[in-house]
Amino acid sequence: MTKKEDRFTTFEKAAGKLNVASSPHLVDTAMTTRSMMIDVLISLAPVILMSVYVFHWYAVKQLLICIASCLAAEALFTRMRNKPFSLLDYSAVITGVIIAMSMPGTAPWFVSVIASFVGIGIGKSVFGGIGMNIFNPAMVGRAFVMIAFAGYLGASGYEDAGSLVDAITQATPMDIFKQSGVVPSLSVLFWGVTNGSLGETSAIACIIGGVYLCIRRTASWEIPLGVILTVAVLGGIQNIVSPDSGWTVLHHLFGGALLFGAFFIATDPVTSPLTPKGKFIFGAGVGAIIMLLRLFSGYPEGVMFAVLLMNALTPLINRWNVPKPLGEH
Amino acid sequence: MADQPTATERFIQGVLPENPVYRQLLGLCPVLAVSNNMKAAVTMAASVTFVLLCANVVTSLIRNLLKPHLRIVVFTLTIATFVTIADRILAAYLYQMSKTLGPYIPLIIVNCIIICRCEVCASKQSVFTAASDAIGQSLGFALALSSIAAIREILGTGMFFELRVLPAAWPDWVIMALPPGAFLTFGVMLAAINWISSNK
Amino acid sequence: MMMESRTREIKDSPGMWERIKKNSLVQGWLVLLLALFFGSALASVQLSLGPKIEMNKLNETLSKVPELVLGASRAHEMEAKNQELGIEPMTIEVNKNNKRVLYNVYKTTYNGEINGWVAKTSGQGYAGSIELLLGLDPGMELITGLFILDQKETPGLGNKIVTEQWRKQFINKPTKNRLIVVKDGADAVNEIDAITGATISSKSVSNIMNTAISDLKGQLISGQSSNR
Repeated sequence: MTKKEDRFTTFEKAAGKLNVASSPHLVDTAMTTRSMMIDVLISLAPVILMSVYVFHWYAVKQLLICIASCLAAEALFTRMRNKPFSLLDYSAVITGVIIAMSMPGTAPWFVSVIASFVGIGIGKSVFGGIGMNIFNPAMVGRAFVMIAFAGYLGASGYEDAGSLVDAITQATPMDIFKQSGVVPSLSVLFWGVTNGSLGETSAIACIIGGVYLCIRRTASWEIPLGVILTVAVLGGIQNIVSPDSGWTVLHHLFGGALLFGAFFIATDPVTSPLTPKGKFIFGAGVGAIIMLLRLFSGYPEGVMFAVLLMNALTPLINRWNVPKPLGEH
Repeated sequence: MADQPTATERFIQGVLPENPVYRQLLGLCPVLAVSNNMKAAVTMAASVTFVLLCANVVTSLIRNLLKPHLRIVVFTLTIATFVTIADRILAAYLYQMSKTLGPYIPLIIVNCIIICRCEVCASKQSVFTAASDAIGQSLGFALALSSIAAIREILGTGMFFELRVLPAAWPDWVIMALPPGAFLTFGVMLAAINWISSNK
Repeated sequence: MMMESRTREIKDSPGMWERIKKNSLVQGWLVLLLALFFGSALASVQLSLGPKIEMNKLNETLSKVPELVLGASRAHEMEAKNQELGIEPMTIEVNKNNKRVLYNVYKTTYNGEINGWVAKTSGQGYAGSIELLLGLDPGMELITGLFILDQKETPGLGNKIVTEQWRKQFINKPTKNRLIVVKDGADAVNEIDAITGATISSKSVSNIMNTAISDLKGQLISGQSSNR
């Protein structure tokens, strides 16, 4: 116990000396975790509505399964750690919504349940619960099932030819392009009436929700800006190098999980850097890794891996970007 | 040397209270590397048992001749000899298994469990105590290795000792058969054991 | 007592005994003795088990050869009738871009007539190298079999290259055209179905085979006299 206190006091001492405040830097001190989380839920509303519109009961089913299992996992693991019940801060609900929105509608129920339990358990609880985790819990859960059940979450997992829901009968635009080079129309990607992970298809829904989050200052605008700028620049270079591929910068921005990841996943305040400059570097790193994976890897999309890799670098970015106290040089 | 544990104590300590893997966190290389199926895990555990038993007995026999500054050299020499013998025997009689285990049998040479037991027990205590210590520690190692291998093989392939134990509809958790599965299983098992023992 | 012996030593031969005692060779007598003993133990283990290990290595390849040339059912038939295939191992040297590549090739004969070839070859897979045996008919026109000796592909995905179900589609493919891996159902004669989720492993195997076939085809047919 004394050891723990020691560690905290040294940390606080260091924090005090270096003038690093815990992110996010809020003007309104009354803003609690809970109200922040409610903000996030409001901002996710357009994405959720759009996914229900496009995927019908597939989206409803995934949402219900993921939220229920995330709450169950949170309850179980907090009880195991003899900590007070923390369900009311909505953080588990948000993890559940983000896992659901990053899943293919066709994924079987057990995939979503395992993703939720791994996300909350290994992604968050083992590090000490909310605020202590290194990696984005939702992405930890999704990465686990992505590798465990490649068949359900890989390219072919998104399609179900016999489905009554139109979108699910086709391959995702990212896969079609990766495999046969056919470019979908921009309006399809913008409005989102196409196949893909539940929340990623509609660019406009992500933009509306994301802008709301940034205006409310619940998310730091530097991160999505860094992601989008880097993807735009690298996508532009890619266009110049191979002009006839047809997959333009706007396709890169509106396609796949890029906007959803930039606004809702990368902006998680716990796992992203503290300073504005650090945040921008973080966003740019996410964007660069996404483009690297999209262009050169076997995977059609790389938002999840990009966010996880940059999460790992967050402590380093924080160390490089310690703001200098006034008067020192 | 009156306060040294007896042979029985050594044996019991090795199995659970001082389990080499879950309590001392030694010998993790084979635990992580060859635990994705039971057959490989059992072969590895048997090889470690052979090497540990032989090394402990030989070390204990020559314990009065050891000079403090040369003891590590003698331990290494002894261990390396028995590891090479184990490796050759596997290659001669279990060729396929020897290929599957690849470099991990020769790597027993650097497995800390063995040099640790030579140092802690065999170089100070009688042959009988050293042998019972070796068997206890090997049993503990085998228990830990096969517990992880059982979880990984059953979840990852739905099989146990290559026999199907879960229905064919079982969706294989491919990640459990891959290296990350070893780290995750080991971490979760360690946490579970610490949690249980702290709640006692 | 201690003092006494010390003084006597110094009196007898000043410093001599001390120097011998401190000499590293004398200090390490136990190490040297053990090394000698363990060394001879290892030598005897190697002497007694070495031939058996060599046999294991050879058998691993040789036991597969009949099946790769004749197909599983005919190989079993021959075994049941106690007939044996003549297997003649040889090393084929191929010059490629001024680089020498060596292939282990087995020529199989039955009643004095050549009835097939088996080549051992390897190449880069998705994770680590893949080593395989490739069976060809006497004229090297058709592939008669494929066996994966060693691979480190992803369990559950890439390692399905060892399954008979996947390997059997190579049988009776003509060697005239390069093998091509396709994802959406093979229809042309030289097309191979990829394993779902493991296109790279599938491509690696067919590329290794393509290289071996193009390297060996001319060599074996034209240069049979150069066989050693």
